[in-house]
Amino acid sequence: MGVEHEIREKLDAAFSPRLLSVTDESEQHRGHAGWREGGETHFRVEIASDDFAKLSRIERHRAVHRALGSDLVGRIHALALQIEA
Amino acid sequence: MTADTKTRIDETVKASDVVLFMKGTKEMPQCGFSSRVAGVLNFMGVTYTDVNVLADEDIRQGIKDYSDWPTIPQLYVKGEFVGGCDIFTEMTLSGELDQLFDQKGVTYDKAAADKIREANA
Repeated sequence: MGVEHEIREKLDAAFSPRLLSVTDESEQHRGHAGWREGGETHFRVEIASDDFAKLSRIERHRAVHRALGSDLVGRIHALALQIEA
Repeated sequence: MTADTKTRIDETVKASDVVLFMKGTKEMPQCGFSSRVAGVLNFMGVTYTDVNVLADEDIRQGIKDYSDWPTIPQLYVKGEFVGGCDIFTEMTLSGELDQLFDQKGVTYDKAAADKIREANA
């Protein structure tokens, strides 16, 4: 299972988002720190879910980090998050 | 994180009004995300302490536990964790960063901040 798919599944399960977009942007970072051959190093996630309504901005990010798990977050180099309630 | 590392981090974030934990230094960032935050702070003329986590493995791991935040860069203002690159960028563009600096008494170049917003409008 690819990382992109793994991110999507975990966030889907955790937040039942009404919008979820996961993009592997590794190719745009070719040669940068953390990049490696084969990609799956740099991801961008846009997510919108009612679950975030009561959370502060920092708490929203923490909730997403937790849902993905430290193992996955540790494996990828970069995760850009855009989170909306 | 050892008690010693926690004490070191604690002292560092409280020793200056603005502290940026980053990969590389403010003059020579070694990661695009660290570079973005340092570049904006530099452009806004903010006086801040840069901590190169690549130079200290204990701090590199410890700072993630300290803030319950898994990524670098991390910005602290008056000892309080503000966020990473995404949150910092959002706050810069929305003007919330100016508000935060105003509230906390951090000096910065307002015209430079406006220029960044104009350029990204």
